[in-house]
Amino acid sequence: MSEYHHVKFEREQENIPHRGIDRRDFLKLSGFTFAGAFLAGCQAPSVDKAIPFLVKPEEVTPGLSSFYATTCGGCNASCGIITKNRDGRPIKIEGNPSHPISQGGLCAVGQAHILGLYDSQRLKNPVLFGKETSWEHVDTTLKTKLEEIKKGSGAVRFLSSTISSSAQRNVIAKFLSGFSDAKHIEYDALSVSAILDAHERTHGNRILPHYHFDQAEVIVALDADFLGTWISPVEFTKDYRKGKILNGNSSKFSFHVQVEANVSLTGSNADMRISLSPNAYKNFFHALASSIEGGNSSLPNVNELAAKLRSAKSKSLVVCGVNDIDLQVLTNSINHLLGNYGSTIDIEKPSKQYRGNDSELEHLFSEINDGKVSALFVYNCNPVYDIPNGNFLGKQMEKIPLSVSFSERNDETSGVTQCICPEHHSLESWNESEICAGVFSLSQPVLQPLGNTRSLTESLNSWMNVRQTAYETIRSEWQHSVFKRQNKENDFQKFWDTSVHDGFAEVEAGENIVQEFSKQSLQNISPSNIATDLALVLYPKISIRDGKHAHNPWLQELPDPITKIVWDNYVSISKKTAERFGIGENDVVEITAHISSVKRMVKLPAHIQQGMCDNVVAVALGYGRKGTERFTNIGPEWFEAEPTVKQGEFVGKNVAEFLQWANGNISYIVMQCSVAKTNEQYRLAATQEYHSLQMPKHLVSSDAERRPIIQETTFASYIKNNSAGSFPKHAYASMWGEEHPYNNHHWGMAIDLTKCTGCSACVIGCQSENNIPCVGKDEIARNREMTWIRIDRYFHEEENKFSVAFQPMMCHHCNNAPCETVCPVLATVHNEEGLNQQIYNRCVGTRYCSNNCPYKVRRFNWFDYEHGDEMHKLVLNPDVVVRERGVMEKCSFCIQRIQEAKIVAKRNGVVLHDGEIQPACQQSCPANAIVFGDMNDTHSELSQRMNDPRFYKALEEIGTRPAVGYMTLVRNSDEVRNV
Amino acid sequence: MSEVYSILREPLIGGNKTYTDITNDVCSPLERKPTYAWWFAFTISFTMLMAGVIAVTYLLTTGIGTWGLNNTIGWAFDITNFVFWIGIGHAGTLISAILFLFRQKWRTSVNRSAEAMTIFAVICAGIFPIIHMGRPWLAFFVIPYPNERGPLWVNFRSPLVWDMFAISTYFTISFVFWFVGLIPDLATIRDRAQSNFKRKIFGLLSFGWNGSNRTWSHYEKIYLLLAGLATPLVVSVHTIVSWDFATSVIPGWHTTIFPPYFVAGAVFSGFAMVLTLMLIVRKVLRFEEYITLHHVESMCKIIIATGGIVSMAYGTEYFIALYSGNEYEKFTFLNRALGPYSWSYWIMVSCNVITPQLFWFKNIRRNVALVFLLSIVINIGMWFERFVIITTSLTRDYLPASWDSYSPTSIEIATLVGSFGLFLTLFLLFARFLPMIAIGEVKGVLSYGRNKNGEHQ
Repeated sequence: MSEYHHVKFEREQENIPHRGIDRRDFLKLSGFTFAGAFLAGCQAPSVDKAIPFLVKPEEVTPGLSSFYATTCGGCNASCGIITKNRDGRPIKIEGNPSHPISQGGLCAVGQAHILGLYDSQRLKNPVLFGKETSWEHVDTTLKTKLEEIKKGSGAVRFLSSTISSSAQRNVIAKFLSGFSDAKHIEYDALSVSAILDAHERTHGNRILPHYHFDQAEVIVALDADFLGTWISPVEFTKDYRKGKILNGNSSKFSFHVQVEANVSLTGSNADMRISLSPNAYKNFFHALASSIEGGNSSLPNVNELAAKLRSAKSKSLVVCGVNDIDLQVLTNSINHLLGNYGSTIDIEKPSKQYRGNDSELEHLFSEINDGKVSALFVYNCNPVYDIPNGNFLGKQMEKIPLSVSFSERNDETSGVTQCICPEHHSLESWNESEICAGVFSLSQPVLQPLGNTRSLTESLNSWMNVRQTAYETIRSEWQHSVFKRQNKENDFQKFWDTSVHDGFAEVEAGENIVQEFSKQSLQNISPSNIATDLALVLYPKISIRDGKHAHNPWLQELPDPITKIVWDNYVSISKKTAERFGIGENDVVEITAHISSVKRMVKLPAHIQQGMCDNVVAVALGYGRKGTERFTNIGPEWFEAEPTVKQGEFVGKNVAEFLQWANGNISYIVMQCSVAKTNEQYRLAATQEYHSLQMPKHLVSSDAERRPIIQETTFASYIKNNSAGSFPKHAYASMWGEEHPYNNHHWGMAIDLTKCTGCSACVIGCQSENNIPCVGKDEIARNREMTWIRIDRYFHEEENKFSVAFQPMMCHHCNNAPCETVCPVLATVHNEEGLNQQIYNRCVGTRYCSNNCPYKVRRFNWFDYEHGDEMHKLVLNPDVVVRERGVMEKCSFCIQRIQEAKIVAKRNGVVLHDGEIQPACQQSCPANAIVFGDMNDTHSELSQRMNDPRFYKALEEIGTRPAVGYMTLVRNSDEVRNV
Repeated sequence: MSEVYSILREPLIGGNKTYTDITNDVCSPLERKPTYAWWFAFTISFTMLMAGVIAVTYLLTTGIGTWGLNNTIGWAFDITNFVFWIGIGHAGTLISAILFLFRQKWRTSVNRSAEAMTIFAVICAGIFPIIHMGRPWLAFFVIPYPNERGPLWVNFRSPLVWDMFAISTYFTISFVFWFVGLIPDLATIRDRAQSNFKRKIFGLLSFGWNGSNRTWSHYEKIYLLLAGLATPLVVSVHTIVSWDFATSVIPGWHTTIFPPYFVAGAVFSGFAMVLTLMLIVRKVLRFEEYITLHHVESMCKIIIATGGIVSMAYGTEYFIALYSGNEYEKFTFLNRALGPYSWSYWIMVSCNVITPQLFWFKNIRRNVALVFLLSIVINIGMWFERFVIITTSLTRDYLPASWDSYSPTSIEIATLVGSFGLFLTLFLLFARFLPMIAIGEVKGVLSYGRNKNGEHQ
């Protein structure tokens, strides 16, 4: 103790140290270093230049959209579209509700092809001998060359995809008439030439029938993906849905059988699906035909099908999507037997969407090979890429003295032609087409051409020294022919204006001579194929189709409806076949086949596909496109990320070398191939990892084998009891009373699972409307897809029965939202109209909302997702914020559209009507599966759906009280498959 | 002045120490140059810290995407680490505050270091809620400050807001408690200081402590008050942290057992960490006579108790999952044990349920090397417990289409390593500059188990 005192004394005499550290330094030391580090990097990029108009253009009011009707250029179907323009350029495409063919629907490709407009890879100037030049130079050079060719004896060939515009055909014909040996050859990359050839044999006229799925009570489709990619999928979806109406007692439901090897979108919607190898197709149809005539077949299912078909004479429809003339003749004979011609199959008012003639193409190929062609014009097709032996054609092109391509970009074909005269994008063009007899679709440009491009008509006119623009050409053609085919309107100007405004015109069909079915045609059918071991089926994906849209990142990143894989093509193989070869998922395999005596090989990753026919492998066309090496920069670049495409490589592999001519038609089926496993692996990126509602066997407890998420029943059960298949309803008791009073509108949505085909048009529609970025393959593989709506796809395979169910999932805007209670900063709140709102500038990104969402519909911005192409920014919707890194986003029920409609109604002093507000998903859906509306309006379509006994809500038992509900999936099958 | 205790009890401080001895033993490591052992340990932990700094800088500049999280699994290593570190902190507060209120005299040798450990653990923990945010530069949005946007407040219903209050309160009180307790010892160092600079700094830090009776009296009063304030935090903080999960709808998270389960688990892992650190400290700094085997044993006993609660909780979860009949709940627990992440589950069970049972045996409790090893095993197990609860529950929830898997990226692993680096760096700095044992308090229990002459029978 004394020691201590001593110390104390000493201390008292010392100077107490002066406190030199003041408050500021203290605060500094207390650890504001973190905050300081953050403040440095928080500046958002500011707008560089916002310059208002000096003189406002008449049609352009900033903030208001203008709408123009035109025609979709995504594929040959020519669906009618309406573009939404802002600041003088289109930013969104919708289906045209009045259009007689597409009836307001639009597929994923249609929704996405607007991005193809804003593509910096599109040529901005014509190219001559590899160098960009001016039109004058091109015209002078070409005119000189053409004069030389006129003097010579060489053939002039104009190769294009189907042109159903008579104006264009006339201009081409006129141009070609200036040469002694000139021909216009049409082919389609996804050819249905066999159908036309078959009708020539059976009915004397080379036509593609107009199929009416709405009139059919029984549909048998052999390898025809008519809901997905075949001929006119939007129209067929609309019509197909008309044949399946569930209205309580006044219901009707067609019976659809799909016979196929690969699992297609259409097959997954079928009431009955028969898995068959392609080398058994002919036998099947032979058996079906004879069974319909009264015979008895030993093949499974045939007699049952024949009976059903017979009971629906002239109300059935048998279609075949195989480009083989024998099968098509058989198809025609079956339809004839069933009396379908004239009802479900219309050959008097045929479709003009596809006219390609494969045998003429084959002939052209040999002409080029023999050096007989002096000039080749290539328009709207890419033969070097997508025809059999296309590579060889590419090399042969050098033999041709003059080769001109009208392609919009430097692709496989235009890269080897001497001259490229780039055409406008379909949205920049005046065009017209006769989709089917009597129905004309018009295209008008919805913006000034972005580059120095020129339409085909004008190019040809220029070389013929005719001064006429495309507009004038079309207008005059209409004045002389189309206008004359109708008598409702007498004034051409009025007729023209109405047609341009509407985007279409309906006139008299015109003459079409067809003969009675010729039984002689059946005699030429070659015998059935011998059973072979492993067949290869080449098919188009719903997003990429023939490869035309391979440069579109939205479509590359659209998950395939069946496999949910993005950004690649792969070999689909059944589990048994995979086991036979020792192949696992993501193993790279080598496919070898002998095509016309040439050995072809390709290495692709394997994907084990449920429901796939054994001894069949399938690979998608349309990949390995030149120009897709640009995608090496898409997606965030950080050190653990793998690029979407390796430097200099293409997305996927081109398998067009496996195509071959068979009996004058391009065959997409290789009857014999072999598959070998290599030592490599290739990671395929898919958006879904688990594919069933059934729990894994070792984790199943009693009564809980299948999760109650999708209600399913059969049509027979539905008729007996309209709420068949319903899960037990839960009585929701709340301690809190009604937290949110909805005095005005209460928005909700009902999705009919019977109607949804899984086509994914809604996904692209939403992406387009809401400025959703593409994230790249690596991010998808890490389960970070950005699309606000996804389509969950569940398989069920048991013994020989295979079924698929689709369930679109977006934010359910729960009335008792689990996300709203847990956000610390009130970035997600409920509004007085029932919407769960996400307030981007408040979100700090804790991700608790996403963790707590049982539907997992929230999307987080894991990185700053840059556009791969700067020009893509032109498609952004100015009504929707572009989100920053670190912010959560999700479906907003297109609140910008809701607000716009409410403001317009208020301004005009009218009441808002049901159907005026359509979120992007509803608007694109060709099948009318999605309906948005006001729950408080008892007359709205939504309320009607909600009162339907089929209506239910997913995961209702949690107590989220979602505003989105589903309707039971009804199938016309014998037993409930319960996916 | 000191109380008289029976010589039948084992002395808390071994080796016949005097007051001077205590002061010298504790202060002399601070007054000599650091040893090679310290530099070695410091180099390693500073390297680990730097790895973490680089990783976090990359994260903040590039985005949360550099972690292995995705749309299904929004929290993994980040919140696992957060809960892990907060849990560890609870032992220190329990030793400092609760054992003080329970008059457990043996706490005096370890409470200073344990409380320091708590503060460093809370610092490590507090980093994670900030960096796990997508936009951490706006982290202040979580604080309800008056503003002109409404005013716009925070969502008081959200457990993350409660976290903000809880963690900040916890840190503040722990820090104040620890610092106030340090003042007499800082004064001691000031008095012994040879250099002017050192005397100035420690003089500043000791607030002019003069050791008078009145000063001591105030000190003891405030110490008691702070202990009282800190005690409820031991239960409340981790309860609130557990509510981050318990208030959600996800099966595996949505359960009312979490508060006691988490608090017990926190104390369990915290004591294991205290043991890990103390067993090294006592060896290196030769504090065996201050941190005796009795202390080690007592801490092991607490580990048995809390470990037992944790094991009970595991069992209860399974029972309730089965008994409830809720198919999602049943699935979640079957999935934990037999699904793709079952390896993490079984690590958790073997480390947390089996290991503490070994402490029933006295010769294991008194075997320093074994206790050290087992304490590390327990912490590994507790880290995995949070991983199992947080991450594996998210991988497979309601909609099978959303099921996915998770694996950490190098950035996440570096961040975890960095958090250990920060913890150890701070602890080593603490060991270098501040007295590791509460000199004043230890002097107060010197006569425990000794007679007036300081002898023990």
